[in-house]
Amino acid sequence: MTLTYVLMQNLRRNTLRVVLTAVAFALPMAVFVAAISFVVALAQISADMEKELRLGVHHKTTLTNPLPAGMRSKIEALDPDRRRIAAVCGMRWFGGRVPDTQNTLTSIAGDPDTFPLVYSDVGMTAQDIEAWQRDRRACVVGRNPVDTYGWKQGDRVTLVSTVPPYLQLEFNIVKIVENRERANFFWFRRDYLVESMKDAGVDDARCNIFWIKCKSAEGLRTLQQDIDALFANSPDETKSEDENAFVANFTQAMGNIPGLMQTMAMVVVVIVALVAGNAMMMSFRERTRELAVFKAIGFQSGRVFLIVLSESIMLAMGGALLGVVPAAVLLWLLPIRLTGIGPMIALEVTRLGVIGSMAIALCVGVVAGLWPAFQAMRLQTTDALRKVA
Amino acid sequence: MALPLTYHWRNLFVRKTTTVLTVLVITSVVSVFAYMLGFSESLQHSLSVARDPHKLIVLKSGATAESNSAIPVDEYNKLSQVTNVARDEATGQVLVSPEMMVQVSLPRLRDGGRTNANVAVRGVTLDAFRIHPNIRPLGRIFSTAEREVIVGLAAAQQFAGLQIGDTINLGYGADRAYKVVGHFSADGGPMESEIWGYLPSLMNSYNRTMYSSANLRLADGSDARQIIGQIEGPAIQLAAQTEEEYWESQSRLMKVYLFVAYLLVAIMSLAAVFAIANTMFSVVAGRSRELAMLRTIGFSSAQILLGLVIEAVMLALVGGMLGCVACWAWLQAVGNTKDMFGATTFTTMAFKIQMTPLLIAKALGLVVVVGVIGALVPALRAARMQVVTALREP
Repeated sequence: MTLTYVLMQNLRRNTLRVVLTAVAFALPMAVFVAAISFVVALAQISADMEKELRLGVHHKTTLTNPLPAGMRSKIEALDPDRRRIAAVCGMRWFGGRVPDTQNTLTSIAGDPDTFPLVYSDVGMTAQDIEAWQRDRRACVVGRNPVDTYGWKQGDRVTLVSTVPPYLQLEFNIVKIVENRERANFFWFRRDYLVESMKDAGVDDARCNIFWIKCKSAEGLRTLQQDIDALFANSPDETKSEDENAFVANFTQAMGNIPGLMQTMAMVVVVIVALVAGNAMMMSFRERTRELAVFKAIGFQSGRVFLIVLSESIMLAMGGALLGVVPAAVLLWLLPIRLTGIGPMIALEVTRLGVIGSMAIALCVGVVAGLWPAFQAMRLQTTDALRKVA
Repeated sequence: MALPLTYHWRNLFVRKTTTVLTVLVITSVVSVFAYMLGFSESLQHSLSVARDPHKLIVLKSGATAESNSAIPVDEYNKLSQVTNVARDEATGQVLVSPEMMVQVSLPRLRDGGRTNANVAVRGVTLDAFRIHPNIRPLGRIFSTAEREVIVGLAAAQQFAGLQIGDTINLGYGADRAYKVVGHFSADGGPMESEIWGYLPSLMNSYNRTMYSSANLRLADGSDARQIIGQIEGPAIQLAAQTEEEYWESQSRLMKVYLFVAYLLVAIMSLAAVFAIANTMFSVVAGRSRELAMLRTIGFSSAQILLGLVIEAVMLALVGGMLGCVACWAWLQAVGNTKDMFGATTFTTMAFKIQMTPLLIAKALGLVVVVGVIGALVPALRAARMQVVTALREP
């Protein structure tokens, strides 16, 4: 009689309880896998952003106070031999939406010459860059608007700005960005915006933010201080922060979804541990006599310990699979998109999330089975045989 | 005669481990539920205050919020021809409040100033207090001759440097010191997260020549649609909406958030149902002889069924109450302040998650439902049990 056989028989003994436990385990695990995928993805994005070494310089009072475009050359002059700065890109908020729709896209105009350098992570090829340089109306678009409005590369699209002077502009899509943290973005050329504004009678070339691609983390820190010092006591005092710090300001105002997901993940681990623990305690109590019989017919204590523990682990892993797989499929079929400012990504299940969930399930299985297994091991055969369930 | 409640209560202590584990499952689910519910209720309370059906917000057409609207003064002046709106009794002129909305970035108190929030600064004239009747200054308001501001209670509690007597640097270059001279309440509405100052002074400090919005009140018995028609018509060509419509479109972001949160809570509540069912099946299996004995001494199967459901509800209620306590403790430890952007306002709305009696009642209501559903099937099985067979069981 193999261990596997005993285990399979045990699982089939109280089918009802196995099913109930598995479902009670599966449901929170479905939440867990989504939550942990989200948290892991954000942690990755945050690490990637740190590697991108981008420093944002905006007005000290608020992002909505624009800064003079000439600041770019002043910033560049801080580092004439380019030891710290790779490129500086001035950007201005356009806040466009597709005519007759509600959603404001994260649409931003950037300096045409430096945009591909500062945002090298969007992966523009030499060809893309050439198209972007050649076409004044070029735009680079993330996945969400592309999917929502059925756009494709080469399309001509129209956006209406939600900020004064509420321009309506036409763009040509030269590149679709696949990075998920850039899914809501719509970038286009600032020279096109400035000229269009001039045509509309508004002569305003100012920028909301300058993003600086730095060459080293240390360079970023020193630049941060140097830039804020340079503009201190001027009418345009600046605040410089790295991309993660910049995003953190908004995360809180977006309801702190990462925080919510982390808390959910923690609570869920507690719940599944309790559910599994409860099931194992009940199962052990009902089978005390049976386990005693095993011992009486010569099973060693270690073996009995293993039987109980493996059952717990199997239950946990099975329950986890039952939750993780449907959650992954459902979120793949019906994605929940989180639109907003900054790198808000969709709720989806990632490979790392699945691995993490199974690892947690394994731990929970071990923890939940440990005490009953220990008790089973210490069982006094004669006492147990006498015991009534 | 029904089974006495003490019978059920004491039964919970027979299998202590199982009871404790099940109660803790419920506790975890309810604490999350109570938190989410508190979040959504506070938010909704705040938005419900901003539902004045007699108030119209006028923006530049194409703008989505006060913060990205710019109304030139000549266009604003055209509003004086609107009819059927409230008028100033003394002058007979249309009562309209020109307002300017800008933002100031202030440190959040809840994370010790690690992150900054975009707080709305609203320039108003004294007419604003007649247009927005729920604004109640606590103490004195700003003087029109000095650089002074008053601060909403929610903003004062959640963002740094807004106590009475503090000075805050406003203006385009953040170089004009304004003194905080008072606080105001807005019945918990979104305006309570704002800073208010005198419009001409703030416009000057921010180098602005245009207003952001204009607010009007309907005359008694007039129709909002008709007035919106006048404002959006060829003579004026501005965009108008009722306050309710404005906040409805601003709360989209919050709705996505709440949808995600409630979806997760629903899944976890379902898990709690299964956890209770599991426990109750085990209770029934373990007590089948005892239950059969109760049947032989005259208790009906309906009474057994009811009894088991009551037992499950007791179990769930204990968990529910512990959950509320856990949620309250969490709010005490971590802080109950929150702030959230409107969909396009780019300014934040601060509110507090509060454990109200109504909220506790709702959380316990959920728990009772979970308990009843979870217990139903096991209890039915117990009620249908063959008495003779059950009595013979070991």
